[in-house]
Amino acid sequence: MPTFRAGFPLPFDFAPQLEELRDELDRVWTTLSAPLAARAGEAGFPPVNVRETDDAITVEAELPGLESSDLDISVADDALVLKGSRPEGGPQPAAGDGERKPTVTWHRRERGTGTFERRIPLPVAVDAGRVEAQLVNGVLTVTCPKAPQCQPHKVVVRAG
Amino acid sequence: MVSQTTPAAAPAAPRTEPAPTYQPGIDICDRGTEMVFVADIPGAQPDGIDVRFEDGVLSLEATVARRELPGRIVRQEYGVGNYRRSFRLGDGFDASLISADYRKGVLTIRVPRLAAVRPRKVEVRTA
Repeated sequence: MPTFRAGFPLPFDFAPQLEELRDELDRVWTTLSAPLAARAGEAGFPPVNVRETDDAITVEAELPGLESSDLDISVADDALVLKGSRPEGGPQPAAGDGERKPTVTWHRRERGTGTFERRIPLPVAVDAGRVEAQLVNGVLTVTCPKAPQCQPHKVVVRAG
Repeated sequence: MVSQTTPAAAPAAPRTEPAPTYQPGIDICDRGTEMVFVADIPGAQPDGIDVRFEDGVLSLEATVARRELPGRIVRQEYGVGNYRRSFRLGDGFDASLISADYRKGVLTIRVPRLAAVRPRKVEVRTA
């Protein structure tokens, strides 16, 4: 990951501000220098990583804060469809003292909430009845076994 | 006021393939009695998360184990790596009461204010 590092000791008074500026530049740079596929993926949430083995397609996505019940996964027309929503959780105000209204002041809100739907084309036909998904610590893994006709057929070479 | 900061850069250890480090998306809110930090850290384990409060700086660091999956990559839209981010909070917080909770890939850190500096409503009495 690229970082903007000062190659010399910074004057004490300015160091913290420069570090903060550098952090923000890092964030911008990371976004701009992301692979093209990732930037294209910004049109669709969540971003996914897809792998292919001889007998299955595996789709991974990071969905922190979601429960299995927040997700709706289906296969339609050789595409995997991920639907879901991230509820607007977040801290509640401290209990008021009766007369004064409790308040919450947000300093940053970078985590998105709301609903999403994404259709991920699959490179081969899959066996929709055997698709399995698991969600562990915010990471979703969907395993889509290939349809039998799409699995490689191993030809045994006989000795003469 | 919360400002973001960076811990002093550690000397780079020679490694063959260092894991990338990402800054997690974070929500920060002030509830009066405490500051609450909510960070997206998918794929971590509780014992791989390090939360510290030193010299008025709250820092969080998480090590995420590589998920070695079989097969060839067909599409890659995000990277998997470690997480690190820190914020300067200043004084007035009770370091001994800071709590951190990790579930469903989300880390929630609560930093209570010292009782002496919490906002307090003063009753105005009449004679």
